[in-house]
Amino acid sequence: MAYPYTHEKEVRLLSRGWGDPATRTLAGWQAMGGYEGLRAALELGREKVIDEVKASGLRGRGGAGFPTGVKWSFMPKEKKGVHYLCCNADESEPGTFKDRELLRWTPHQVIEGCLIAAYAMQAEHAYIYCRGEFFEANQVIARAVEEAYEAGLAGENILGSGVSIDVTVHQGAGAYICGEETALMNSLEGRRGLPRVKPPFPAAAGLFRRPTTINNVETLCAVPHIVKNGGAWYRQWGSEKSPGTKIFCVSGHVVRPGNYELPLGFPLESLIHDVCGGFREGRRLKAVIPGGSSVPILSAAECVDCALDYEGVVEKGSMLGCASVIVMDDSTNIVKQVRRMVDFYAHESCGQCTPCREGTTWLSRILVRIESGRGTEEDLQTLLDLGRQMTGTTICVLSDSAAAPVASSIEKFRDDYLALIRRGEAVGAN
Amino acid sequence: MSDGGKRPWELPFRNPGWAGNTGEFDLTEAQVRGDEYVASRPLDGGHPSGAPTYPYMLADKDPDAPLFEGPYRVRYEKILTRYPDAQAALLPVLNLAQELRGHISPETMDEVAGLLGLPHAYVRGVATFYTMYNKRAVGRYLIQVCTNISCNLCGGDEVLDAFLEHAGVELGGTSEDGLFTVTEVECLAACGFPTAVQINSRYFENVTPAGVPDLLDRLRAEAK
Amino acid sequence: MENSPTTTVTLTIDGREVTVPKGTTLLQAAQTIGIEVPHYCYHPGLTAPAQCRLCLVEVEGAPKLAASCVTEAGEGQVVRTQSEPATEMRRGVLEFYLANHPLDCPICDQSGECKLQDYVHAEGREHGRSREPKRVFGRDDFGGDVLFYGDRCVMCTRCVRFMNEKAQDPRLTVVERGNRSIIDTFFAEGVEGSPYSGNIVDICPVGALVSKDFLHKARAWDLDHTPSICPNCSQGCNIDLHTRDNLIQRMKPRDNPEVNEHWICDYGRARYEWPNRPDRIEAPFVRQGDGQVAASWEDALEALDARLSAAQGPVRAVASPFAANEDLAGLAILVDALGGGEIVFRSSRAEAEIPLPGFETLARRRDLVPNRKGAELFGMTRVGGDDATGGIEALENHEGTVIVLGDDLAEFGASFGAHAGLYVYLGSHAPSASTSASFVLPITTFAEQEGTFTNHVGRVQRFWPALRAPELARPAWAILGRLAGGLRGGAGPSAPDEAFLHAAEIVPEFEGLTYDVIGAGGAATREPAALPGS
Repeated sequence: MAYPYTHEKEVRLLSRGWGDPATRTLAGWQAMGGYEGLRAALELGREKVIDEVKASGLRGRGGAGFPTGVKWSFMPKEKKGVHYLCCNADESEPGTFKDRELLRWTPHQVIEGCLIAAYAMQAEHAYIYCRGEFFEANQVIARAVEEAYEAGLAGENILGSGVSIDVTVHQGAGAYICGEETALMNSLEGRRGLPRVKPPFPAAAGLFRRPTTINNVETLCAVPHIVKNGGAWYRQWGSEKSPGTKIFCVSGHVVRPGNYELPLGFPLESLIHDVCGGFREGRRLKAVIPGGSSVPILSAAECVDCALDYEGVVEKGSMLGCASVIVMDDSTNIVKQVRRMVDFYAHESCGQCTPCREGTTWLSRILVRIESGRGTEEDLQTLLDLGRQMTGTTICVLSDSAAAPVASSIEKFRDDYLALIRRGEAVGAN
Repeated sequence: MSDGGKRPWELPFRNPGWAGNTGEFDLTEAQVRGDEYVASRPLDGGHPSGAPTYPYMLADKDPDAPLFEGPYRVRYEKILTRYPDAQAALLPVLNLAQELRGHISPETMDEVAGLLGLPHAYVRGVATFYTMYNKRAVGRYLIQVCTNISCNLCGGDEVLDAFLEHAGVELGGTSEDGLFTVTEVECLAACGFPTAVQINSRYFENVTPAGVPDLLDRLRAEAK
Repeated sequence: MENSPTTTVTLTIDGREVTVPKGTTLLQAAQTIGIEVPHYCYHPGLTAPAQCRLCLVEVEGAPKLAASCVTEAGEGQVVRTQSEPATEMRRGVLEFYLANHPLDCPICDQSGECKLQDYVHAEGREHGRSREPKRVFGRDDFGGDVLFYGDRCVMCTRCVRFMNEKAQDPRLTVVERGNRSIIDTFFAEGVEGSPYSGNIVDICPVGALVSKDFLHKARAWDLDHTPSICPNCSQGCNIDLHTRDNLIQRMKPRDNPEVNEHWICDYGRARYEWPNRPDRIEAPFVRQGDGQVAASWEDALEALDARLSAAQGPVRAVASPFAANEDLAGLAILVDALGGGEIVFRSSRAEAEIPLPGFETLARRRDLVPNRKGAELFGMTRVGGDDATGGIEALENHEGTVIVLGDDLAEFGASFGAHAGLYVYLGSHAPSASTSASFVLPITTFAEQEGTFTNHVGRVQRFWPALRAPELARPAWAILGRLAGGLRGGAGPSAPDEAFLHAAEIVPEFEGLTYDVIGAGGAATREPAALPGS
């Protein structure tokens, strides 16, 4: 039994236990070598753990791709009070569906990553901020934490090392913006999930105004493997600047959508055509959003020779983000899909910054008008102008994210817009 | 226009999400959902680390249930032990209140504010920020259909229409028998299993327009 | 200029070098050299959430524009507030503010003092581009004196932060999110009864929060603003009197970090109308037989001079703690010239103070008069009860000289002072108890004259004339000074600053103070030397 559909080109490191219910349990996870990373970490000592993670070149999997070891080293070495670790499991970027799988199939992998990270950064409490809608994943991870406590892997005096780390699973309540790290901290503090102005950065004053580090689920899941096997070992996959494996979430018009764990730098075309089985008969590629809905759209031509790593996608004019590859074939109505994405941002804008609060809705209204055939060519210029006015002017990047697909789609699929504006005809059905 | 034959949701391959469709995989529903791995729910005396999560959303809601008594009191107290201040417990406590009552009314906000010693207006500000708090009563089954891009590309809108048609409701409305409330929801993070639908606490994945009547029948049967 | 490198930074803003203390924000640094960066959410008395995104400025070398309200000035920074990227982005942000704004300036009270109008006029686009239907929130009564127009709101959240941080009475909140977010209260509970809630109207940069009392009463550009001191308690809040048609229309706080920061209480704010009272004493009146007849000042004072020179028996006087230091000094000097006598005053006192928790210097004080401390410095004694009555029963039938300055003698009838050898009443209104007075002399109120009050901690603060007094009313210091001069030889003070110097001569605590020293912000009185053994 193998889940999900696998492909021989995959390197199943983090996703190894997926599809096997036994992996969920502590016994099952330990049978696969689980918690050896934690033991290794406790033996290595804090500094060496951070050194290994730095050496591995692991980059944050939540979207920004910031080097994890460097992020960890921002935490104060001299401890003057409580430190916190937050595991960002508030997965809600459209197109992204890897963290839920990691949580529900390999909960102990998440916990082990949290414990190692908390140990390395001297955090006494790790909060796993789990997306509210994930009731099922929630009960699994909560049970796993309970098991970890029972086995002495969490809580007081972990494995007799004298180190104590509490782990709490915290459930969100429905707000995409809480995936932004400072909004997550506000939400965890029982506030409205508004992103905070930086500085101060979380490592100086984060959760409850204490030094805090926030890592994505997938990032933390990679940590036990790196600590157990060494940073150099992890570099056998991927490129110099983007080492390791990455879970690619492929959705949309491919024959086999799903999560595929592949080395970074994997060619986009191969991912679509080989791994995911290409398109339905008679269909061909129209566009790809390579990193979740927040990044610019790539046209079919730009997908040629696109290496899926942090640098390769930037070269093509987009970003890897959290490697959520949304594939659109030629039946796609780009205007409708862009409008749907902008609707999403309008719905999820926290509303504190004016360009985002007003801009997202304004974009949406113009797009609705164009979609219904009542648009004008000036509207396209207005959309581009508004997008520019929304970029770089707000506290967080939600506003930029809403503008990106609009600008890139007008640039690359102008004819689709013009068909609606001039003739009232939509290109594509979906 | 021609779409090359098959509709997007008729693609042959399916990962094993649960809508009675596990494709080529012989996993049970409980195995997919992880229901087998819930040894001690927090309500049954589980560990405080899991207390801030709600393991299930009750199908039987009691808008007048007390905040909090019996096992819920225990869980409430466990929640408070996991945070440095009462304010941080606000979201989990609102979750707990919604689990019991089905929605968060102004009175509930008021009571929660009183319990945690927070200003009433503050609690209202927080409760209205998060979409999972139902501000008004919903049906026994809250059906939330993802229509965001990945599902939309594969027919999310058609699935939503099918739910509206077969449940006999307007968008956001509740059916006359009080069973179904159907709403749109933003991306459920199950994009590889289009269309994703959340019904109370459960995910139903790979839902197709054709599969909707069966799904509703299943819920009607459960409700009996 | 010598500056320790650890405590100040020097940077360049719009080509001008400026040195500011470390920790100063770019916005504040720009203000010190008179450069105003547009802003809504930033308010000097509140925390800055940096969410209005209007104060964006270009910092050389920074990848993005910086929100100047939260960006600390750094050594050697080069900041441009007027560069193309900065003005273009601010123009863009302003366009978003207008996308859903109702543009109802013709019926909006804020019009003319609205920051949205100002900024759009200064930096905005000429024409809006929105063709979409506007979002409509409507109006809400927030209770107290506050009315909320949701559609005009720019979501700066100053009001929410004021209630949280200063009033520490968190009754306002932002509800919902994104484009649907709006300021609200917890259902029926508004700001009603929250004693500082009127300030949220002042700090609202647009017409979203307006005063019910002031609703549609006057246009901002028709109002004259005069710096003054709130006369409704002894805190001495610095205020501006806003007048039109020779009437006070409203009272607004004037910044003074030593006294009231940017705030005033609702108690004081609501009591702005009494100086508008119309039934004034229009001329000096002199007793003739059973009646009082109007006289010219010349005739009245000449007659009074003669009576004062011949006055017999002890002098007893009643002063008002609403009178300025200059007026009280005039009374003290006159009584002294008459051979001395007791001066008392009466004042209302509330049961408790009403502090502003987030700025503890400020409270509505128990003494509901502006100059109790001043009266005491002049050696006057407070008598009577907390309702400002009683304590002067002995004066009713006093047979010597009685002088009343301003007290309305509310509990007395027409027979008050009937047995006095000489009864002089100086006031703005003539109560029944002035019927027996030999002389009734019209004086100005605090709103019609220049003068000073001494607040509860001894801070002397100036106020300026905001209203035109009735033609024949004179400041009490001028009348009393002239009378004392008549007795002693020499002229009385000819101007208020001179009157204050006379006051400083008899009150040691005022030593060194002049109008110039006091300035617009006030000055503390000198601590009197402690008495041995006390």
